[in-house]
Amino acid sequence: MLHVISQTPKMAQSGRPSGLPTNENISPSVTRVIVKTAGKGEDFMIADNTSVRQFKEKLSAHFECQMDQLVLVFRGRLLKDHDTLRQRGIRDSHTIHLVIKSKHRSRSLAHSSQNLLTKDPCHRDRNTKGNSSGVHQLASVSHTPVESALPVEPDAPKVHTQDLEVGYPDCIAQMLQNPSIQQLLSNMAPMRQFISEHPDLQQLIQQNPEVSNLLDNSEILWQTLELARNLAMIQEIMQIQQPEQNLEHPLNPQSYPGLETMPGGDNPLGRSYADCNDHMLNSLQDPFGGNPFTPLLEGHVLEPVQSSPLSPPQPQERRDQLPQLPTTRVIYTSSCGLSSITSANVVPDKVNHTSSASTTTISTKDRSHNWAIQQPAGVPALPSIELTQQPQAEDKDATTSRDSSDQKLKDDPQLSDEQSSSQITGSMVQLLLKNPYLAAQMMLFITMPQLSEQCRQQLPTFLQQTQLSDMLLALANPKASQAILHIEQGLQLLATEAPVLLPWVAPYLWGLGWLPSPSCSYPDTVPWAWDVPDMAEPKGPECCHKSGAARQRLQSLAGDSSHLPQAPEIRFSQQIESLQAMGFGNHHANLQALIATEGDTGAAIRKLKRSQGF
Amino acid sequence: MEPPNLYPVKLYVYDLSKGLARRLSPIMLGEGAGGGREGAGTAGRGKQLEGIWHTSIVVHKDEFFFGSGGISSCPPGGTLLGPPDSVVDVGSTEVTEELFLEYLSSLGESLFRSEAYNLFEHNCNTFTNEVAQFLTGRKIPSYITDLPSEILSTPFGQALRPLLDSIQIQPPGGSPVGRPNGQS
Repeated sequence: MLHVISQTPKMAQSGRPSGLPTNENISPSVTRVIVKTAGKGEDFMIADNTSVRQFKEKLSAHFECQMDQLVLVFRGRLLKDHDTLRQRGIRDSHTIHLVIKSKHRSRSLAHSSQNLLTKDPCHRDRNTKGNSSGVHQLASVSHTPVESALPVEPDAPKVHTQDLEVGYPDCIAQMLQNPSIQQLLSNMAPMRQFISEHPDLQQLIQQNPEVSNLLDNSEILWQTLELARNLAMIQEIMQIQQPEQNLEHPLNPQSYPGLETMPGGDNPLGRSYADCNDHMLNSLQDPFGGNPFTPLLEGHVLEPVQSSPLSPPQPQERRDQLPQLPTTRVIYTSSCGLSSITSANVVPDKVNHTSSASTTTISTKDRSHNWAIQQPAGVPALPSIELTQQPQAEDKDATTSRDSSDQKLKDDPQLSDEQSSSQITGSMVQLLLKNPYLAAQMMLFITMPQLSEQCRQQLPTFLQQTQLSDMLLALANPKASQAILHIEQGLQLLATEAPVLLPWVAPYLWGLGWLPSPSCSYPDTVPWAWDVPDMAEPKGPECCHKSGAARQRLQSLAGDSSHLPQAPEIRFSQQIESLQAMGFGNHHANLQALIATEGDTGAAIRKLKRSQGF
Repeated sequence: MEPPNLYPVKLYVYDLSKGLARRLSPIMLGEGAGGGREGAGTAGRGKQLEGIWHTSIVVHKDEFFFGSGGISSCPPGGTLLGPPDSVVDVGSTEVTEELFLEYLSSLGESLFRSEAYNLFEHNCNTFTNEVAQFLTGRKIPSYITDLPSEILSTPFGQALRPLLDSIQIQPPGGSPVGRPNGQS
């Protein structure tokens, strides 16, 4: 049959009527073709001489679309209307691919950022702004320029919303650079309306009414918009490290909401903080008679951070004695108002190794206590440092006056506080872990009268939680405590041989809980020798009372860890009993569970139940 | 009548095993349907797979492939797999880029949704085959499309089928291709 057909002259160009024999097996003039669209194929019977156009008519009826939406592809070739199917070589059971074009024409690949034609730039712009209602409610003053400006945006790339996930940041950047957008942003009234109508912001205001105060302050708004208009500034601010941002926390958000943003507005704020610092320091200077932190920090390299410009010099006479350090401080903040001591925040600020003075600042405010510690670089050869305690009131001010505070305007201070507290805590914990000496000093520092009982009581739990028990364990190590003992003995020797050198090592001695006072009986002030079950009471209360208190505290801290060397069975004997009474017979499993949960019976029960397949 | 534009269509073939399949398949796959004869003289007793093939279609200077994340596209060779292990010339097509993307969108909503991915039955090679036929009318080489059945015909494949079924391959580096919003 095929051969017969091939011999008949086929006129490919002209469509013969159905008299021409074909190679279909169904009927002489009907071809069965498969039309595949969107992955499915359907059979169609068509007459042999069907033109593409006629075929399209048929298809459009079948698929319920317009003819110009149809595109037929056969073997990679587009079928034009004037061809016949036969011309293109379509035979029986061939597959023709059909694409039904959608009416919405523009489209692009996500990874290739193309500028697309759109039919409705205004509409799209409003959508991407995310607040169409705001635009519609533009004040009449700015309405006209904005409206006319919006259509004039063919230069801005218009990316489909589905592609926003890829090109979003670039898109925003380009949008912001567009002068019409800039103009819009500089209009206060519409922007305020705009912002206040945003659903997210309304939610925020519901939760935190203070934010509305911020928004109402037109100065703040203006500053923020100014910021928003300047992308580069935003980026720069974002890159200023996070910890700096956290320095905003010491600010009381209720007071001086806009001061930080105003140039020069930080001065009253700074002065107030400086006064606070002064009070604190004055009261603190007597009991310590020295800078307890300097020996810690000497040689300890805190996390290096970018340097930031100094604040303008504050009218403090004591401050003037100090060289203007580009903020080499670590500020420890603990918020006594918060229940858990994990709010003991450390804000590693900066480290500058070129400073030559060491200072300690303690400042307090109604919400938190701050300890500012400065890193002494350029220390003289001797490890001791001049024990001058100079107020450093400019610590907070330098940071608060920074423009990065602009960012805080929109954030709820509490939220950001909590956010950064975890960061701060983390960095502080790391810091303390690296410098166990520092941690010890911190604990001793807690004997400050200004601190509340609460802080002091919470410290043990806090330290446990933050894995400082490692340090305590280290100290519980008999060898370690022996080493400390050796140091003690060495100092003893030094005291007898060359007492003149004692002032140089005084900080260390103080750190060890022992002050160079001849009335102190040395053997009795054995510090932290925890393997010694009974500690001798210090004989010199006037010099050792602090150390005693510290030691007691450490004892209580070490109370748990000193038990660690004991066998877990002994430790958890009570819990094992209760577990067994409850019916968990496997003693070994019980013990394992208790060890894993550190003696928490409830958790151990859950663990056991899980493992036993309940 | 202007001559139609013809765009070349290439098939990029990647060996996901990077040569391991060729070396280890005789050992691992054991007796297959075709290689189980004793003393057949073959080097190994097992079936020989040349590779675990992942393919993609390159047309209009873009690479298109199907994975567990649906249809994706990237610049040619732009996935984490790097350059292809071999390139097969499929032919050429008149289909314009716009039309092709339209076509891919409709495929992505119907036959090649991301959840439709199955390592054996409906994988990247299925997609590539489909697209190649649309673009040029030709299919991709059979050694690629026969791979799942080759594996499943071995005891190894049968045994591991439940595990292998759950495997989803999505080479990183592509972005999704889909229908835009607002289409009628």
